[in-house]
Amino acid sequence: MHKQNKYTVSHAPFWHDGDTIATMNLNLILAALPAAIFGILKFGAPALGVLSLAVSSAILWELAFNFISKRDITIADYDAAAIGMLVGMMLPATAPWWIVLIGTLIAVVVGKMIYGGIGGNPFNPAVVGIAVLLVSWKQIFDFDAALLNYEFGFTALAPLAALKHQGVAAMDLFQTRDLAMGCQVGSIGTVFGAGIILGGIYLILRGYIRWEISLSYVAGILLTAFLFRLVNPDIYASPLFHLFTGYTLLGAFFLATENSSSPVNLVPMIIYGAMGGVMTILIRNIGSYPDGTVFAILLINLINPLIDRIRPKALGKGVNNA
Amino acid sequence: MIKRSFIKLTGPRLLCDRVEPDPKKPETIPIPPRLVLLLHEPLDSTRETLIKKGDMVKRGERLFLYKESTEYAVSPVSGTITSIASYTGDFGTIATYFIVERDEKDTSENEFAEFAETPDLKSADSFLRSLPGAPSLSRFLDPDRKINTLVIEGSDSDLMSTTRQYLLATAKEEIKRGIQILRQMTGVAKIAITVPENGNDALSSEGVQVFKVSRVYPKALPQMVMKDHLEITVLPGATCEDHGVTFMSVEAVISLARTYTKKDPVYDKVLTVIAKDGTRHLVKAVIGTPLHRIFKQFNLQTNERDRIIIGGPMTGFAAYTLYHPVEPAMDTIQIQDREEIPYVSDYPCINCGKCVRACPANVPVNLLVRYLEADLYEEAADSFDLQSCIECGLCSYVCTARIPLFQYIRLGKHQLTELESEATNA
Repeated sequence: MHKQNKYTVSHAPFWHDGDTIATMNLNLILAALPAAIFGILKFGAPALGVLSLAVSSAILWELAFNFISKRDITIADYDAAAIGMLVGMMLPATAPWWIVLIGTLIAVVVGKMIYGGIGGNPFNPAVVGIAVLLVSWKQIFDFDAALLNYEFGFTALAPLAALKHQGVAAMDLFQTRDLAMGCQVGSIGTVFGAGIILGGIYLILRGYIRWEISLSYVAGILLTAFLFRLVNPDIYASPLFHLFTGYTLLGAFFLATENSSSPVNLVPMIIYGAMGGVMTILIRNIGSYPDGTVFAILLINLINPLIDRIRPKALGKGVNNA
Repeated sequence: MIKRSFIKLTGPRLLCDRVEPDPKKPETIPIPPRLVLLLHEPLDSTRETLIKKGDMVKRGERLFLYKESTEYAVSPVSGTITSIASYTGDFGTIATYFIVERDEKDTSENEFAEFAETPDLKSADSFLRSLPGAPSLSRFLDPDRKINTLVIEGSDSDLMSTTRQYLLATAKEEIKRGIQILRQMTGVAKIAITVPENGNDALSSEGVQVFKVSRVYPKALPQMVMKDHLEITVLPGATCEDHGVTFMSVEAVISLARTYTKKDPVYDKVLTVIAKDGTRHLVKAVIGTPLHRIFKQFNLQTNERDRIIIGGPMTGFAAYTLYHPVEPAMDTIQIQDREEIPYVSDYPCINCGKCVRACPANVPVNLLVRYLEADLYEEAADSFDLQSCIECGLCSYVCTARIPLFQYIRLGKHQLTELESEATNA
C-alpha cells in the first residue's frame, strides 16, 4: 500500500452559508454609517472625534479585559467596534473625552464582558453604557446646551426637550420632513432619521436583524402615540413626531434588535418590539425623562428571557396521531 | 458550496439538484482486482472466525463472521480473502472488512436460485440484504412493528445527488416489476413513491400513490415526507417504522426486480461522483470497489486535508481512507477541497435566531445548544426538544457563530441512547 493522504474527517453538514460574526458586525457598522456620516458632516470634527474615540476605546477596553481575564482575544469579531459605534452615535458631538471613555467602558465591560463576552449579555451593552451616563451626567445629554455654539439653519432646539418644557406647542416648530432629513438638534448618529431607516432596511434585507422586532417596535411607537393624541391632542405630540425624534429609530433598528438580549421566536419578537415602543412613549409622555428609548430597551431586555419561552411546538410534540 | 444569498429575509432555501432531462448512461468502472467488503459486525480478536485469511470465496457467497452471526456480506466476485480486519466508523462503531483478491475463474455459487421462483420475504432477507440500494426487508420481519406503508424514495433526499432521479427516469419498467415483487413478498397495504416535483408520473397507474416532493431541502427527508404527504408526525425519539412506515431506495426496488428476473443477485451500483469543481459523473461500480478506483477513472486528485464525503453535503459522512468501498446504500461521493471546508469555532451562541428560523422541526436550537454544550443531555431532551430533531443539518449550515450545532445534536442523541441503555442494563 502506498502512503495515504490524511483527509479531514468530521460530521455533516459539510457546507456553510459563509456567515461569520465578523461579517455580521461589519454589516451592522456599515448600516450605521449613513447616519453617522451625516452626523459628522453636520457637527464637524468634534463628532468625528467622539465616534473615533468611542470605537477605538471600546475595542481597547475589550482587549484589556481579554488580558485581565486571561481569555482569548476576541476583538477580531468587531463586536466591540459595533458597540463603540452605537455608543458614539448616541452621544452629542461635544461630549468630553472622559464621558466617551466611561461610556464605552461600561458598555463593553459591564454590559458585555463580565457576562462572559459575546452572546452572554442580558442587556444591550451600548444601551447599558448610555443609561449609566444618562443617569450620572444628565447635563451631557441636554442637547440644547451641548450644541449651544453651533449655528444651524433651522430651529436649534432639541425636539423632545422642547416638547417636555414647552408642551405640544413646540411641535409647530418642527416639520416632520425636516426631522426625518436631519434638521434637528440631537446626538451624532440619531438626527438623520432617513439614514437610520435606510441602514435598518439594509440590515433587514440582509437578514442581520430580525424585522419582526423593528416593525413591531415602530408599530408600538406609532400606535401608543396615536392613542395618547386621541385622548388629548393638546398635551401629547403626534406619532410621527415621536418616531423621528430622539433615539426612537436607532432603538428600533439597532438597539432593540441586539441578538443576545432579544427573543428569536415570532410571537415573543412581536411582544418584545411592541412593548419597547409602548414603554418609550409612556416614559416620554408620563415620565420625567425627555427620551425614554434607553430605559424602554433595558426594560424589554429584562422581559426577553421570560417571553421567549413562548415558542411553537416542536415536531411531534403535542400531537396524537399514533 | 452554496453561499448565503445577499437578500435573506427568511431561512435558507437550498434546492436539490435535478437530473438533466436526457441523462447520459453511467460510466462503468471495471471490476478492480481487489475488493473491500464491509460487514457491520465487530471483529472479536479472541475468537476464530468462520472465514479465514486465504479462504476461497465464490461469487454470490455470503460471508458470515461467526456461527451465530446474522449479518453477512456478499462477495460479488470469486477470489481469495487476503485480509480480515476491523474498521472504525462514525461514533466509534466497529465494522469488519474483508479484502477479496479476484481470480479469473469466476466460480459462482447461486444458493439463491432455488428461492428465486417465488419471491418470499424470509429468503430474500437472508440472501439479498446487500443488493445495490440495500433493501430494508428485515424491517418487514420485525414482529413488534407492523409495517403498513412502504415509501419508495425516487427523489434524492440530500443536495447534489441525482442518482435516484436518474434511476427513476430510466428504469420505469423495472420499478413496476419491483413494486409487484415487493407487494407479493410483503403484502404491505400501501405503497407510495416519491418523485421530484414537475417530474412525470408514469408510475401512478400501478395503484401506487405518487408523492411529488418539492426541490427545497429538506422536503425529501423521510420525516418531512411523512409529515407532508402521509400526514403522520413522527413522535420525538420514534422512528418511521414505529409509525408503520418504512422507506426504501428506488435502487433497491430495481435491484430486486433484476435479481428475480435473472434469478441471480446483481452487484452493480449506480453512484453520482462529484469532483472538487462540481462536475458530476454518473458511475456504475460493483459493490466493494474502493473509492480510489473510481477517482482514478476520472483523474480526480485528492490532496492532504481534503474531505471525501459519502452521501450528501448535509447528511453524509466523511471517509478517512480511499480504500473505503462502495457500499450498498451509498448514493453520492463528493470530494471537497481543503480550501472549501468551512471552519467551525468554539464561540458561544450569540442568539441571532437563524437556526430557529431554519429548523423545519421547530426545535429551539439556540436554547438547546446551551444545554448540549454543558453535557446536560436529559434536560435537553425533556425541555428543549432534542429528540424532535430530524437531522437535516440546516442549523449548522446557517450558524453565524459557526457552532457545530448538528454535531452537538447528534452527540446529544447518541449520549442519550447510551444513558438509556445503561439505565436498562443496570
